[in-house]
Amino acid sequence: MRVGVEVGGTFTDLVAIGPSGVRIAKVPSVPASPDEGAFNALIESAIPFESIEDLAHGSTVATNAVLERKGYPIAFVTTRGFKDILALQRHNRTNIYDLEYHKPTPVVDRKNSFEVDERMLPDGTVAAALDAAAVERDLVPALSVGGYAAIAVCLLNAYANPEHEEALRDLLARHLPAVLVTLSSEVTREFREFERASTTTLSAYVQPVIDRYIGRFGARLAENGFAGRFSVMQSNGGRLPAENMRRNAIMALLSGPAAGVVGAARQAGRSGVENLITLDMGGTSTDVCLVEDGTPGITNEFLIDNLPIRTPVLDINTVGAGGGSLIWIDEGGMLRAGPESAGADPGPACYCRGGTQPTVTDAHLVRNTIRREAFLGGKMDIDPDAARAAFRTLAGRLGMSVEEIADSAIRIANANIIRAIQIITTQRGKDPRDYAMVAFGGAGPLHAAQVADDLGVHTILVPPNAGVISAFGLLAADHIQYESMTRRFMLDRDAPRAIAEVYGEMRARALAKFEHIGRRENLSLILIADMRFVGQAFEVPVEIEPAELDDLTVERLREIFAAAHQRIFFHGAAGDKPIEAVSFRLRVTLPVGSLPVLRETHEYRIPETVIEIFDDRHRHACTVMSRGALEPATAVAGPALFEDPTSTIFVPLGWSAEADAHENLILRKG
Amino acid sequence: MADSAPPTADTAPLKDASRLDPIDYAVISQGLIAAAREMGAKLIRSAYSTIVREAGDASAALLDRDGNVVAQAELIPMQLGPMAGTFRACADLYPLETLERGDFYVNNDPFQGGQHLQDVFLYSPIFVDGEIVGFAGTVAHHLDLGGGNPGLNATAADVHAEGFIFPPSKYNFESDWNGGPLERLVAANVRVPSQTIGDFNAQFAANAIGAHRVEQLCRKYGADVIKATMQELMNYSERRFRAALAEIPDGVFYGEDAVDDDGISDQPLTVKTKVTITGETVAIDFDGTCKQVSRNLNCPISSTVSAALSCVKSVLTSPDIPFNEGVKRPITITAPAGSLLNPTYPAPVRARMEAAYRAFNAVMKALSLVVPEKVISGGHDTTTVTAISHLGDTGYRVYLEVFGGGYGASAHQDGCDAVDSPLSNCSNAPLEATDMDFDHFRITGYGLLRDSCGHGKFRGGLGIHRRYEILKDDVNFAIYADRFRIAPYGLFGGTDGSRGRCEIERDGEIIQIRSKDGLMLRKGDVLKLYTSGGAGYGQAAERDPNLVSRDVAQGYLSDETARAAYPHAF
Repeated sequence: MRVGVEVGGTFTDLVAIGPSGVRIAKVPSVPASPDEGAFNALIESAIPFESIEDLAHGSTVATNAVLERKGYPIAFVTTRGFKDILALQRHNRTNIYDLEYHKPTPVVDRKNSFEVDERMLPDGTVAAALDAAAVERDLVPALSVGGYAAIAVCLLNAYANPEHEEALRDLLARHLPAVLVTLSSEVTREFREFERASTTTLSAYVQPVIDRYIGRFGARLAENGFAGRFSVMQSNGGRLPAENMRRNAIMALLSGPAAGVVGAARQAGRSGVENLITLDMGGTSTDVCLVEDGTPGITNEFLIDNLPIRTPVLDINTVGAGGGSLIWIDEGGMLRAGPESAGADPGPACYCRGGTQPTVTDAHLVRNTIRREAFLGGKMDIDPDAARAAFRTLAGRLGMSVEEIADSAIRIANANIIRAIQIITTQRGKDPRDYAMVAFGGAGPLHAAQVADDLGVHTILVPPNAGVISAFGLLAADHIQYESMTRRFMLDRDAPRAIAEVYGEMRARALAKFEHIGRRENLSLILIADMRFVGQAFEVPVEIEPAELDDLTVERLREIFAAAHQRIFFHGAAGDKPIEAVSFRLRVTLPVGSLPVLRETHEYRIPETVIEIFDDRHRHACTVMSRGALEPATAVAGPALFEDPTSTIFVPLGWSAEADAHENLILRKG
Repeated sequence: MADSAPPTADTAPLKDASRLDPIDYAVISQGLIAAAREMGAKLIRSAYSTIVREAGDASAALLDRDGNVVAQAELIPMQLGPMAGTFRACADLYPLETLERGDFYVNNDPFQGGQHLQDVFLYSPIFVDGEIVGFAGTVAHHLDLGGGNPGLNATAADVHAEGFIFPPSKYNFESDWNGGPLERLVAANVRVPSQTIGDFNAQFAANAIGAHRVEQLCRKYGADVIKATMQELMNYSERRFRAALAEIPDGVFYGEDAVDDDGISDQPLTVKTKVTITGETVAIDFDGTCKQVSRNLNCPISSTVSAALSCVKSVLTSPDIPFNEGVKRPITITAPAGSLLNPTYPAPVRARMEAAYRAFNAVMKALSLVVPEKVISGGHDTTTVTAISHLGDTGYRVYLEVFGGGYGASAHQDGCDAVDSPLSNCSNAPLEATDMDFDHFRITGYGLLRDSCGHGKFRGGLGIHRRYEILKDDVNFAIYADRFRIAPYGLFGGTDGSRGRCEIERDGEIIQIRSKDGLMLRKGDVLKLYTSGGAGYGQAAERDPNLVSRDVAQGYLSDETARAAYPHAF
């Protein structure tokens, strides 16, 4: 049995695929202790722990720790003279006309920032040795009274030579053995101290959270008789053995959204849809990502809570619009949706768990686009009267009916999602009309058609069991491991040999890490060299085929670099300007092998009926049927609602829906 | 500025745009803005000098065929104003009909639309089916364009001593640049040709990218639709700007501020403004401003216009209104010829930012009388430029960096700490990049400057301190800065921010440096720079005591300063 368990902000989802078919479970998340939700899902699914050979896990633990600043207190240590690196940042503004501009808040306060005497130079030589005596005399006592769970170390020029960072770690480990120490040279070996310090502090911030979480999770699995492989999703869309993640916590940021994108891309690929916009709307937020030729975009420059991260992650844009997003009126008298969320607790007003403010889910209940009897396949009772009551005050203030204000709230939430998609499409010169939308997450298929309409997208694909596609994505993901190394040299006659050496070293390191997965066959390796013209500061990634390494020539290297530079910058192909290589990354992929097949849960049936809904300012008669009841090659015209145990799909007036051979539901405009 | 009365968006409704499909409009307008952003991002990423590639002192825009700026990469406010003016000076001499593929316009002349010589504007026509649909334009601050001293000549007597002038002209990329005579002429007249030529190439490449994106849009939607969208984008910004102006009361408001001195005497250089708001228009006049001066503090009219425009846009409108030519339509900005804010040839203008900031401050003060909730107090509001250069075995090494300080506080919150000032938006160069590129000095300290802010209900942002150790003899140091003498002003009871200063530690002695100065440094010298913090807003007695405790705990304020300024919090 292969099992994927995905902990979201509101719900925890499980997909199990084995010889006897697909099994799914969806239970409320337990925000205070996410593993509780995960085990509840495992118990709910009634799968014996001993029968699980492959357990893949994804969670928002790390992301939430940053966004809600719920990590453990950490310290930051840097070179004397520079403890304000985190506060100074890059000294520019992201909005040039905002007189009240404020910088993003680092995860380490100024009062928890410390300095050591040392100075490394960019060529890796030492200008001033690390003053170990001063570290023991001044720094260690200061750190030991601070009650820190982790220490982030980022010394100047450590990317070129990590000796001082390593010596400092050894000193701290000797005196403060209980404290985790994260070195910048281990997290990312790229120059630019602020970005590296930011990445390092974020990694240190989530390190204790992830370490404790995975430790606890693994122990509890073992207690229950689990003896299979336990892997965790990374932000780059690949899996990593859970043990490795404990030492590589930065890769856990954004693992939840990444799983959804991978699952959606794999499932859409079955229907031949390779260029798509993923729309993953859950309880707290919506994640969107552009997938081209079946491959999700990767970026090396990512922001979380506006703080930079320099490790490879899927290029996902997140907006605070989910089922639990609160509906409110701002000081300017404008109706707003999110970004604050009612979360899992108390949740929307209709959950009757103490929430009184209306949410997007309440708005659907008022409009009748979510039906009480069908919520989570009827497993959870929700109260339409509580939803209506929650909207009454707002309706009074704006002089609208309860239905009208609920309908407006949905449109406003949709507008937020549309802007998020424009950022990854039109703002990057891509036309959304050239893509299909793949909608999933509990609320994605409810909102997709209206969002698509406004963007001019005319095809939507809804995978089977769309509410748990992220959990499926965990199972569909390959194992991926990145190695990186900064080694700067000129592209001269010695370069091919130097590159082969770098590759050999990194390959050995990567393979050692795959050792305890127990499989080394079919590994696919890609070497990426970051190169630039001498004098430039930003490198162009150039992919080198490992097969090519043996007869690589300097001419060939120049040729592939020039082509990449030309493609990105529209110049550089001609001429004989000197070129240098700066850093290298090796991506090792262990393919998942046979892709598990995701199917609809056909046992779930409700009687087909017609109800009245309120949508787009009007009342409509609307067909309601279970998704599994839809015959292949039969188009149903909207307005229609399809229900399955994990989500509701809304087909508005002007759209139609049809199931294809892979059990994907295809919505078409017109 | 010669401002005729252009048709307003209301009187000339969207004739072309009315045919636009709303989704097409949304997609294309975003596409044009995206293209401008891509131009800016790639210019910076493929550039060679630290001032462009790390500090990001460059901007990019797409223009319609009449030279109106349609979409911009919003990078540097100061560089966004003069695009149209520098373009038109070229187009008047070399009309569109004479342009061929590969041609480009170039202009950096401060007396023909430009600002200072270092900002060189390049425009490339965008041809679609043989017709010009618009232009891709870029401007970058060039590290060194010759002149009397590397990077910065603090004592230039006229504009000729400041560098190489490109009068408004037309050249061809293939025949004149790209190894051709113009490239060789430029390379021969600058001190670090590999970086300067590299940065020019990055500008040409960015123009090519912008042109390519617009061509793609034209192929997909048709050139007519693109042209209509360009007009509608400007009308949209104009409509929103007019709506914002209509909301505030009519009236005439005055403001003034001053540059410390001209670098020779101790006499402040006063800037005065009169802001007249009438319905949905605003007129800003700088009558009463002092005469132009003999040193490089003169501010060309196009810089004055940019400064005043940036202030009005920042104060009165929400930041999401796209900045383009439409924004300029409801505004008239004038300054008397021969004054500090509209100097005549051959005035040196290299340090024009200081007077431009005072124009910004004077307009801000005038607006504080009508919209007190929307303005901020005085901040560092200065361009502090340091050039540390050296002629070594491998040729000239020129280090140039721009420093910000604290923002002024507002009615709602503290000013931002340690950030570039409102009219500029340069990043700091990473210390690790500076370490890699220069071996004649080393930075040994960089941080927030404690106690540098003014106090109030909200405090100003903190300034910064920097420390350099000089590693070689015969190092050339030049600086221009301001707020060394006249502190940033508080508003509505807030106290003033701190003054900036610069000093050299040499053999145990301290040498004080003036705000506009230069001297030769020796091995072993230590150069220290301190920039101003922003001023406070409102009465200090009204400050939340929790914020005072936080500031002390984090080391933003010393205990003594906090007790003196906020006795109620203790």
